[in-house]
Amino acid sequence: MFSTIRQAARARTMSLTTARTSPSNIMRIPGCRTIVTKKYTEEHEVVAFDDETGLGAVSITHHAQESLGDVVFVELPAVGTKVSKGDQIGAVESVKAASDIYAPVSGIVTEVNEALNSEPGLLNRSPEEKGWLCKIKLSAPEEINALLTLESYKATWEA
Amino acid sequence: MPLPPVFYHYFRTPLPYTRTLLLQEKIHQLQLAARRSSSHHDILLLLEHRPVYTSGRRQTEQELHAERARLTSIGAEFSIAARGGQLTYHGPGQLVGYPLLDLARTSPPIGIRDYICIMQKMIQSYLLRTHEITHVPSDNTGVFLDPVTKIASIGVQVRHRLTTHGFAMNVTKEPLEWFAQVVACGLVDVKAGCIAEAKGKNVRVEDVVPGIVDAFGTSYGRDMVKLCPQNAGELGEAILALEEDALAAGGWLKEPLLR
Repeated sequence: MFSTIRQAARARTMSLTTARTSPSNIMRIPGCRTIVTKKYTEEHEVVAFDDETGLGAVSITHHAQESLGDVVFVELPAVGTKVSKGDQIGAVESVKAASDIYAPVSGIVTEVNEALNSEPGLLNRSPEEKGWLCKIKLSAPEEINALLTLESYKATWEA
Repeated sequence: MPLPPVFYHYFRTPLPYTRTLLLQEKIHQLQLAARRSSSHHDILLLLEHRPVYTSGRRQTEQELHAERARLTSIGAEFSIAARGGQLTYHGPGQLVGYPLLDLARTSPPIGIRDYICIMQKMIQSYLLRTHEITHVPSDNTGVFLDPVTKIASIGVQVRHRLTTHGFAMNVTKEPLEWFAQVVACGLVDVKAGCIAEAKGKNVRVEDVVPGIVDAFGTSYGRDMVKLCPQNAGELGEAILALEEDALAAGGWLKEPLLR
């Protein structure tokens, strides 16, 4: 599934230069299911948005888990919580630092990753896959467009 | 482009914990607002607290209910804080430092793990240089004199790359009896140590402040400038108000009320 995303990301970058008027940066490949779009925030959250289900899976980035150190505790929002973009929705604790996490998009929390209660280390081992934090049903899918691409996100912290 | 100085202030009277939390919060909000125009300041508050036990955000009110009752009955305050780390004690004889910094002043920003690591090294190097106290390395965050003696703790909160809470270092023996009433930091066999006991000499909290300010500046690569609360706008007023509150609160218990 992820090799598909990488190929789609390359294809999307190429197609954007020729199709700037396209309002959505999701690419549909005929015959395949819709691609999941990954966008980033400056606060090191990433949301993987599936526009078919309208759900965004929120996690922290690989860079974030590296700079945090070993995660010992994850605070997650309650299922059903209504969040606005930028609201504090939880926290990650590592080596005595509690770092707040913010909602990258607005919507309702539909699912939280209960595995993190017993295995907070998942955030270090697999931050953007098995260590996903919660899923939000987006109330305003267009918010995804305002988030950073991987390249823009990296530019915020790469020296 | 050099980084601006860190403004520090040392409170001479032990402060009530909850009111100090409010001060930290106020400074955090001022920094958040001023950051939009890049006019925010980095602050280091140095102080003692009146006797208080605090827990981090991992434990719930339910879990802590019994502890809260027990610890307030021996004469301490009890508070839950949004910092990392677990149960600990703050009180007279212990230097508490709250660096309220913007980790994103540098490009790239200081990572949280590095921020904590520098804080730990700062305390270790202060103890060695000023008091010839050596520490032992530990897997646990904090500074240890030996595997079962902890002299300093760290617990921090980061929101939008602005830090609150910080570190606590035992200077006199006064905190030790209070520490003995709990399992601090989730470390069952560990007891608290202090500079006075480690060196067998009389040291007061006010004696360690200049050295810690120096060590902080050196470790984080910043100039340290003494804050003048009379000239520091809203921030200064809040500091002066808290100092007045602290004086008005009067004396405090030197040791826990044990039956």
